[in-house]
Amino acid sequence: MSYQHAEDNWFAAILIGFIALAVLVNIWRARRGKELYIRRIPGLDAIDEAIGRSTELGRPVTMIPGLTAFGVEAVQALTIFKYITKQIARFATPMRLLTANATVYAVAQEAIADAYNEAGRPDLYDPDSVRFLSSEQFAFASGVAGLMQRERVAANFMFGIFYAESLIFAETGNIVGAVQIAGTVSFTQVPFFVAACDYTIIGDEFYATSAYISREPVLLGSMVGQDLAKISFASMIVGGSLISTFLGTDHPIVQLLGKPQGWQPFVEWLSQMLGR
Amino acid sequence: MLFDTTQLVVALLWIAGAFALAIALIPLLGTLPPRGRFALISFVTFIAGLFFAAEFFLPVGEDNKNILTDPFQKMQGSLQVITALSLGLGTYGLVRMHLRNAIQRRPQWGYSLVLLVAFVVMAFFSVWNTMAEKGLFGLKRTPLLENAFTLLFDYTLIQLDATMFSLIAFYIFSAAYRAFRIRSIEASILMFTAMLVMIGIVPLGKLISDSIGLPAVQTAEMRTNPFMLENILYNLRLPQIASWIQETLNAPVQRAIEFGVGIGALAMAIRLWLSLERGIN
Repeated sequence: MSYQHAEDNWFAAILIGFIALAVLVNIWRARRGKELYIRRIPGLDAIDEAIGRSTELGRPVTMIPGLTAFGVEAVQALTIFKYITKQIARFATPMRLLTANATVYAVAQEAIADAYNEAGRPDLYDPDSVRFLSSEQFAFASGVAGLMQRERVAANFMFGIFYAESLIFAETGNIVGAVQIAGTVSFTQVPFFVAACDYTIIGDEFYATSAYISREPVLLGSMVGQDLAKISFASMIVGGSLISTFLGTDHPIVQLLGKPQGWQPFVEWLSQMLGR
Repeated sequence: MLFDTTQLVVALLWIAGAFALAIALIPLLGTLPPRGRFALISFVTFIAGLFFAAEFFLPVGEDNKNILTDPFQKMQGSLQVITALSLGLGTYGLVRMHLRNAIQRRPQWGYSLVLLVAFVVMAFFSVWNTMAEKGLFGLKRTPLLENAFTLLFDYTLIQLDATMFSLIAFYIFSAAYRAFRIRSIEASILMFTAMLVMIGIVPLGKLISDSIGLPAVQTAEMRTNPFMLENILYNLRLPQIASWIQETLNAPVQRAIEFGVGIGALAMAIRLWLSLERGIN
C-alpha cells in the first residue's frame, strides 16, 4: 500500500522522520571525527581486480545502469561508474557505458567526462563511449548483448534497476568470459545475477557502495543511521510478533504496526493508559 | 480543431521564454566560481526537495489535497517535459555516432547503416501513422501506410521483442545449470530446495504425494491438532512443502531485502537533498 500524504498513516510518517533523524545525527557524529566501521563487501573489492584484467587483455569494460530511470538509484549507479572510470583512466582501458534512459545518458556523459578530468586524462574521454541505445527494453537488451559479443568485453559492471533483461546481459557476459559484478535493488533479479555473475551486491548494499568506495565520514555516518533504522525495524517485528502471540492481533500496538488505520486506536489506548 | 489558437500561442510563448531563460542562465552559471555554483545548485536542490517533502507532510482537506498538491502535480508534468527533451538528446547522440561510423567506414559500419535506415523508416511511418490517426494536415490512413505499419511494427518489432524475451528461457536454463551444480553444501541445499519447489508446484508433486498415500485433505480436526500424525503427513505433501518454502522462507527474506532497500533509498535521498552526496557532482 502506498500513502499519498503523511495524514494517511501518521505512524509511517513518524518512522520516516525517525530514520531521517538517525541518519542526520550519525552524519553529524561522523563529521565531529567519530571513527566508524563498515564491513567488507567482496563485490566492491573485486572492482579493481576486474579492471586490471581488462587492462591486461586490452579489452573494454562495460557499465550498464539497466533500465534505471533518473533518480536515487541512477545517481548511485553513476557514482560507482564514475569511480570505475577514474580507475580505468589511469590505465587507458577502453570503456562503454550503455543506457536505456535518455536523462541518465545526459548525466552520465557529464559524470564520465568529469571522471576523466579528475583522473588527469581528459584526452582519453570519448563521447561515443557513453551510449544511449534504446528506451525499449528488449531493443536495449539486444544492443547490449550485441556490443558485448562484438567487442569481447573483459569486465562487465551492472548497477541499477533491472528487469527481465538482466539475465540476457549476465549470460552474454558469461559467454564472452567477462568478469561480472552486479548490484541491484530489484530483488526479483538477484537470483539471476547470483547464478550468472562473479559477485553480486544485494539490496541495501547497493546504497552502501558510495560510502564503501569513498570512505567519506559523512557517508559512513549515514550507513550507521541506516543500521540503527534496521535494528528498530527488527525490534518492531519481534515485539509485534510477541504481542500478537500473547495479547492477540487486535491489540492496539499490533494494529499500529500492521494496519494503516491503526494510529487512532493506538492513540486512544495510549491516552487511556496514561490517564490511569 | 485540435488546439485552441490562443492556448497554442500562450504555450509557444512559454516554451520560447523558457528557452531564452535557459540560454541566458547557462553563461551566467559559467561565470560563477565553482564554490558559488555548488552553493546555487545545493540551494535549488534543497528547495525542490523541501517542496516535495512539504507536500507529503502538510495536512490535507476533505478533497485529499493541501496547498501544494496542485503545484506538485504540475511539477511532475514538468519532469515529463525534461524527460522528453533528454530523449531528443539521447536520440541525437545515437544517430550522430552511427552516422559518423557509416561515413568514416569504421569497423562494422554496416551495422550502423542498418540502424540508421531502420531508424528513419520506423520514424517516418510512425509519425505518418500518428498524424493520420489524429487527422493532422489532412493526412489519412492509406493502404500503403497500413501495410507498412503492420509489417514494421506488428510483424517485425513485436516479433523481435518476443524473440529476445524467449531467449531468456534458454539463458535461465544455462544459468540454473551452473548454479545448481553440486560443488558445495550451499549449492546442494539450493538444488534440493529448487527441486522440491519445482516438483511441488506442478501436478507431478500432487501425483507423487497421492501415490505414496499422504492425506490429500486437511480436516478441521487436523487443523486444531497440529501434532496429529495425519496432519504431519499432510504437511509432508510436496505441494505443501513447496508452498511453505515460498511463503515461510522466501517471502520474509524478500521483505527483509525490501526493508533494507527502502531505508537505503531514504538515506540516499536525504544525502542528495542536503547535497551531502558528492558522487557525481
